[in-house]
Amino acid sequence: MASNKNHAPKKNQEKTGLFEGLRKKCENFGKRFADGSLGTKLSHFIFGAGSFYHGQYVKGALFLLIQLGILAVMIFCPSINGTPYGWKALRNLPLNNVTEGGDFDPLTGQFTVGSDCKLMVLFGFVTIALIIIYFMVWNMNIQSSYQTDMDLKIGKKPNTFREDMRSLLDGKFHVLMLTPTCIAAAVFTILPTIFMIALAFTTYNSQDMNDLGTNLFHWNGLQNFRAVFTGEGSLGVEIKNRFMPVLGWTFLWAIFATLTCYFGGIILALLINKKGLKGKKVFRTIFIFTIAVPQFISLLAVRNLLGEYGPVNSLLQDWGITKEPIGFLGLHPSDSESLAKFMVILINMWVGIPYTMLMTSGILMNIPTDLYEAARVDGSSTMKMFFKITLPYVIFITTPYLISSFVGNINSFNTIFLLTGGGPTYTGYQAGGTDLLVTWLYKVTIDQGSYNTGAVIGIFTFLITATITLITYRRSKAYNEEDTFQ
Amino acid sequence: MKRITAIMLVLAMAVSLLAGCGKKESDDGVIRVWVGEESAEFYQKIGDEYVAAHSDFGYKIEVKGMDTGSIAGTITNDPTAAADIYTVAHDNIGKLASTQCAKPIMDETLIAQVKADNPASFQKVIYSTLNDKSYLYGVPYISQALFMYYNKELVTEEQAKTFEGLQEAAKAAGTKAITVTGDDGYNMSFALLATNANDHSTTVKIFEGAESVSGGAKGESNCQGDDTVAIFRWLQAFAEDPNGFKWASPDGWDADLDKDNKGVLAVIGGAWHYNTAKAALGETNLGITLIPTFTLTDASVEGLSGVKAGDVYRGGTFADCKCFMINANSATTKYAKEQELILYLSSKEVQDASYLECLNVPAYVGAADYIKQCFEEGKVTESQYNLAAAQVSMAEWGIPQPFITGTLNTYYYSKNAPAVFRAVIDQTAYPTTGDVILQETTSLDGVRKALYLIEYLWMHGVTPKEFPAALPEKA
Repeated sequence: MASNKNHAPKKNQEKTGLFEGLRKKCENFGKRFADGSLGTKLSHFIFGAGSFYHGQYVKGALFLLIQLGILAVMIFCPSINGTPYGWKALRNLPLNNVTEGGDFDPLTGQFTVGSDCKLMVLFGFVTIALIIIYFMVWNMNIQSSYQTDMDLKIGKKPNTFREDMRSLLDGKFHVLMLTPTCIAAAVFTILPTIFMIALAFTTYNSQDMNDLGTNLFHWNGLQNFRAVFTGEGSLGVEIKNRFMPVLGWTFLWAIFATLTCYFGGIILALLINKKGLKGKKVFRTIFIFTIAVPQFISLLAVRNLLGEYGPVNSLLQDWGITKEPIGFLGLHPSDSESLAKFMVILINMWVGIPYTMLMTSGILMNIPTDLYEAARVDGSSTMKMFFKITLPYVIFITTPYLISSFVGNINSFNTIFLLTGGGPTYTGYQAGGTDLLVTWLYKVTIDQGSYNTGAVIGIFTFLITATITLITYRRSKAYNEEDTFQ
Repeated sequence: MKRITAIMLVLAMAVSLLAGCGKKESDDGVIRVWVGEESAEFYQKIGDEYVAAHSDFGYKIEVKGMDTGSIAGTITNDPTAAADIYTVAHDNIGKLASTQCAKPIMDETLIAQVKADNPASFQKVIYSTLNDKSYLYGVPYISQALFMYYNKELVTEEQAKTFEGLQEAAKAAGTKAITVTGDDGYNMSFALLATNANDHSTTVKIFEGAESVSGGAKGESNCQGDDTVAIFRWLQAFAEDPNGFKWASPDGWDADLDKDNKGVLAVIGGAWHYNTAKAALGETNLGITLIPTFTLTDASVEGLSGVKAGDVYRGGTFADCKCFMINANSATTKYAKEQELILYLSSKEVQDASYLECLNVPAYVGAADYIKQCFEEGKVTESQYNLAAAQVSMAEWGIPQPFITGTLNTYYYSKNAPAVFRAVIDQTAYPTTGDVILQETTSLDGVRKALYLIEYLWMHGVTPKEFPAALPEKA
């Protein structure tokens, strides 16, 4: 309780800090313009003017170049594959004025290319990003000029370009290091994520796009999300009827897959680390072999073993135990869904337990022996020592692993896709009995080309995993008492 | 150290930025051609010979083997990275044309050759519309159709002629009679496109007379004629029989066909399955023949007036062609030479040579005579001859896959229409869980409603809100 009370004021402080910061920034903005030199004032309109004013020509030229470059893109609207950037990209973003194109000139073999809505959306977001960058650089150039004004006031000589560069290798080395990472994150992670989220609000679906005949789609608001409840749209019936069963199974799978591997690994590690056991290294090596073999090979081998014509079914039939092959993995629509679910959890233990075993072995070896000695002196039994010392210690250390393992299992594509392919299938649906959200997502996008529906499933998956991760991690001892184990 | 790290960082960024820079196709004096992997070497040789013999051609030719099944997808994903000339199955023409991945063919000589050499059925499906004008897009050079592979050890030649004969052999062997390589719309054509064995007739129509998806008419479709209803009722009974039809095993249809597993005695497949079928049965056990005939039973025609018990039907197929097409993103300066090259690559002589070297079945009219001649002259083995002869014969029983601008046959293949076929054959509700549209597909009414549903999906892309009180009469 005490810790909760301590958190509340901290949050309020953060909120106050945020508003205070914004207010101060606004005040500073006015102050910079009023107090700044002529160069600083001009910087509000011409990038780098302040730097030129202070004799920092290279820096000024760089600022100016960025301004001119972005303005050129915004005004002249260069295009790729007939789709423009700049103001035209912003105009295109509502996807109102799209054309099929296709006027053909038989003499040259050239024809007008139609609109590509996918690129229109992408370039629209890139243009918005350019505008944001423009204002960031605008602020930087004013700030730089104003800082120089302040330096001059206290008699400090303005930095030359060479000195600025040198500072990047010294005092501002972290800026140099983090900039490429931030740029890469923006280009390769943030932009595609925004693009993917945007698709969830469109009709970007290869089947529906064929109705239009070209690369055309429209914004359709929340219709794809509503489909979960109403069954509207191209894959609406699928989403409505299969979303909840798939979500439910995804959770069930994640819980069982995580707990079976986790506790299985702990038990195995305890057995192997048991005092007096001979050949510990041999046992460890045997289990590590299962890690050394690529997971997909293990899974495919098991699939073949349990297949319709696999050795297991052949033996069962040869021995007269069964007349027909047993559908262990739900590969036929008529196979048992429950059996398939049980089998994937069981097989997953084979590939998952050695990882936990390996990690827990290390943890067990590091538990302070004086804890056990003190417990023994107090007369504790072996079981009591396990539940009071070993298990809490292991859980304390492995909570972050447990959470990441749970989230990893929610997105456990390989195990399901390679073993059951999501089966047994239901006629009329993409999502089968053992499909997880992530394998369903694959089928919906890759097999059906329904990118908008895929985006909706992706967003839901993200929301679920992010929420679970945040809640469980922030409530765990590993987070709240990270430096101590009591 | 910091300086070195910074330099490395700048270099790494520069390299990664440059790596992302692509170059749009320009006229670099090379015409690039994508063909099937099995034919790449042959067409490279033919291309080199052509260049050597025509000094005024002015271009080098580079041929690359590709998976022809995925070429269309590769091109639509990034047309600028695709070859100048590529080969695809004709049903991709609409999609590639409408997405401006393909350039129309305007060369008069080439158009004349296409008209003179190819059967009328192919000529219907190699054109596409562009702003309401019809243009030739694909130049056929390989013909392909479904036929049947069977286990010669357990099925006699006579038994292989009918589904009933296969069933008899399966009963003796304690196996299932026949399977298909997949449950998609293409493989299901064996039932859907089955035609009367006497006059090749069927009431099935798929987008017949269609114009354009972009506001144009979708043509006429019919999937609920009495013959189609009777065929599917016959197939329901055949699938119910312990020695009848079997869906392919998840272990693969070849595992079913395997001579040791003996899951099934026969499989309906295409030439592209030849090597796998040969591996499953061995060359000496591998029989190749037409898709068999079957006879409608009393039960299958009960309540239907357009058909009668004893009517004989032959399993059907899509009779397709592979075509050369020109990439719309290819440099316009190459345009004339690209057409000149296609004129040569699709000529009868090159198609004949392609058959001998790569077993590609020629697409031109009268190719059957050449195929027979090759066998008689000992230029091909018996199974190679059977492979080609079965395709040529089946082509007479089939129709080309329908398509129009914008690949309307996407509706044929998707929108769950093939899944409804599966529900009918398995006699399950549709869908099998959730909001059920069809409670049963066993009764005559259930089968007809399912076929109406399929027809509706073809035409509208969505399921009907409700079934009409009386289904449209389409006998």
